[in-house]
Amino acid sequence: MSTYLTKRVLYMLIILFAASLLIFCLYALTPGDFITGNIKLTAERKAELREIYGLNKPVLERYGTWMNNAFHGDFGYSLAQQKPVLQLFGDYIWNSFLLAAVSTFLTWLIAVIIGVISAYKQYSWFDTLVMIAIFAAMSLPSFFIGLFLIKILAVDLKWLPPGGMMTTGSNAAGFAYFKEVVHHMTLPVIVMTLLGLGSLTRYFRSNMIDVLKQDYIRTARAKGLKERKVLFTHALRNALLPAITLVGFELPALFGGSIIIEQIFNWPGIGQLYMKSFGLRDYPLLMGFTMFLAILTVIGTLLSDILYRVADPRVRL
Amino acid sequence: MRKSTLLLSSLMIAGSLLLSACSENGNKDTASTDTPANTAATADPNTAAAGTAAPSAPAVVPAGALSEPFTATDLTKLPAAAQKRTDTIIVGLTDPSGAFTPYFQESGYDGNVSSLLYASLVTVDDKGVPVPELAESWDVSEDQLTYTFHLRKDLKFSDGSPLTADDVAFTWTIQYDKAYDGGSSLPSLKVKGSEAYKAGTAQAIDGITVIDPQTLSVTLEQPNATALVTLGSNVLSKAYYGKDYEFGQLEYIKKLHEKPLGDGPYKLEKFIPGQEVRFVANENYFKGKPKTEHFIYKTTTGDAWQFLETGEVDYASFPATEENIAKLKELGYVNILPYTPSTYGYMQVNLKHEQLSDKRVRQAIAYGLDRQSIYVDAAEGAGAVANIPASPISWSYTDEGINPYKYDPEQAKKLLDEAGWTVGAGGIREKDGKPLSIHYLASKSKNSDIFIAVAKENFAALGIDFQPEIFADFNSLVSKTESGDYDLVSFSTSMLTDPADGFMQFFDGEIAGYDNPAFTELYNKALATTDIEQRKAVYKELYQLFNDELPIIFTNYKKTVYAYNGRIENLSVSPFIGLAGSLPNWTLK
Repeated sequence: MSTYLTKRVLYMLIILFAASLLIFCLYALTPGDFITGNIKLTAERKAELREIYGLNKPVLERYGTWMNNAFHGDFGYSLAQQKPVLQLFGDYIWNSFLLAAVSTFLTWLIAVIIGVISAYKQYSWFDTLVMIAIFAAMSLPSFFIGLFLIKILAVDLKWLPPGGMMTTGSNAAGFAYFKEVVHHMTLPVIVMTLLGLGSLTRYFRSNMIDVLKQDYIRTARAKGLKERKVLFTHALRNALLPAITLVGFELPALFGGSIIIEQIFNWPGIGQLYMKSFGLRDYPLLMGFTMFLAILTVIGTLLSDILYRVADPRVRL
Repeated sequence: MRKSTLLLSSLMIAGSLLLSACSENGNKDTASTDTPANTAATADPNTAAAGTAAPSAPAVVPAGALSEPFTATDLTKLPAAAQKRTDTIIVGLTDPSGAFTPYFQESGYDGNVSSLLYASLVTVDDKGVPVPELAESWDVSEDQLTYTFHLRKDLKFSDGSPLTADDVAFTWTIQYDKAYDGGSSLPSLKVKGSEAYKAGTAQAIDGITVIDPQTLSVTLEQPNATALVTLGSNVLSKAYYGKDYEFGQLEYIKKLHEKPLGDGPYKLEKFIPGQEVRFVANENYFKGKPKTEHFIYKTTTGDAWQFLETGEVDYASFPATEENIAKLKELGYVNILPYTPSTYGYMQVNLKHEQLSDKRVRQAIAYGLDRQSIYVDAAEGAGAVANIPASPISWSYTDEGINPYKYDPEQAKKLLDEAGWTVGAGGIREKDGKPLSIHYLASKSKNSDIFIAVAKENFAALGIDFQPEIFADFNSLVSKTESGDYDLVSFSTSMLTDPADGFMQFFDGEIAGYDNPAFTELYNKALATTDIEQRKAVYKELYQLFNDELPIIFTNYKKTVYAYNGRIENLSVSPFIGLAGSLPNWTLK
């Protein structure tokens, strides 16, 4: 196990290094840079600024400088936001995390419950209804659901706020602040949960159906075990195993922010910031954030491999 | 290991998908500020012009269905959230980033914030004419080279410390520091001795002289009529921003971005990234403390409608389409103000390409494109056709002797015939065996779609082979343009304060190949004097010249409406400085 880990970590470093080089080159080769878009500047001033920012240097040299700084814990300074990249992460990433964590939790909880029930009652009216609902949810674009709910729940009925994370100008603190945030995140959480629910429910349902057909389930039933025990102890546990791989993938998504949802609901998250930075070619921020996601992805896959082993001792690492 | 490789490749694929999604959205952002018009207009652009020709006319230019300000009809419909506010006004702002130090900010949104935190020496009125603010008056020397500013007495920064000529001198000086990386246009102004300072061979800038705490002068190397407004911008406190200054070291100032010290109507109370910027009235403001104690810029990225409808913001702008205006009127509780920004849209022409270096071909394109349909009718009235490099709200605007290039395909064909492009096989015009082909670039937007649809037909009717290419975002569009591989590119200017700004692009190398001594002479003549009447006359000549030569093909003006809570009184919006000018006087009924 420990040799496996050392090997894995080593590979991870190589992968990250290759990824960073690739990402850097991709960004560097995208047409235009931070200065290009500023049509107010004279050509002379543009050249001066490229010199100051080092944008006129060869790509590899820029990459070297960037890597060197990154190793020293300096992820650069956002050109557009005029702030250190790490400080910007601190400003925005936790808002994204809050939204993603709550909706991921709800998505999984609901998906497991519905998935198990509809697999157990396959072809029943409940199962049919669930399948129809799932296809409906999966085929609706997020901006449509988002705007539709804003129109109904926020503008017409005035039950929920149309966007933001707190009431504008509010000085609420402590529990009042908590309540305010919960109130504001309800709509985006509903939409995000709805959107994630479809595929995950289908996944659990089909896993569960496969497991329920297995011989050991039949054996368990034949032994006279209670149906509940068969379902939750024997079947569910085995049906959930493959889902551990999915958990690894969730990690970057938790911190990556949802560009569209954050945009629609005016949520102060990192996804929106990332999107704007791309339009402006704010390389330090783009690089820093992309690398951050790459690191999370690699860590996420490692975690899921280890978890898989913990959950299923037959798996050899 | 194989699994890891697989994962890596899926990460890459996912990454590239994300990128393409980003670029599309990113473009939407830039498109709204940088590409031509998604806005409104009168049926006849000349009516708009007539309204501004008279010097005393108000800055209100009719927009679509709205020809004059509309007053709220039923304030009882005002949402409870807006009804409750007694000393706070909330306005939506796309994306303030927290860099609130003037001259050091990269986004216009931060500029909106700092415009409330800092006052200027000189500001401009609704027509763009310079008027005193922190400076009580100024003198310009005979040779138009030396500007002497006389500051008001007892000016204070918001912390109560005095604002003197030293602060102004400091503000100018640091912009000539070699480490200065901001986007201010001051560094391109040739102040005497500024180059020596930048090179590090002089301790101070020769041309800047502090005469007494209330007076200072600055000498330029060559006359420049835009200098007054450029020099007369915001003032930074030397005691605060200059405390740690050493030549070549400006890093320290970044730490002060979120803790601004200004002299404007409001002070920064709190900045919450991605959410809001809170202001509180500045009791040391030279015009007296603003009437409304609190002001908030709420960060809004999405649709402004929902926030106006739920009363979360008091003020928002919309394209002046007839539909929008009708919908706003129906709300009942908003006042509506028509508005034309000080920008213009144009197609940059590749003058190096043989076919377009001929004036007649450019004129043929202007005649042969149905601009009225593209920019006015398709935009539901939220736009107007442009024919000169100035917005109808500028003091220099004129339509005297200006050819409106009304849609006239016959005239266009005649001009092309004259230029030697004759219809060849397949209906495409040819000259010396080469087909007349136009490679058109634009960034992705609804307007580009409309343009291409109409232009395809228009160009086909003229016998021009039209090849449009659409870019997902603004930066790629500019890059492609810089590579020179294009015939026409759609752009829009940023806000123009001085009429000279409208011609700037012909000097900084952006539009290569337009080499007309008559233009250069007129342009310099207009900059060599600060007398408005004299400048007006020169600009009229320049506009007529450009209108005839079409070194760029003018397309359109945008038209917007502002809708605001009917309880707010004394609100006006300046096309040049936005709402900052009138904000201190706003009151809540």
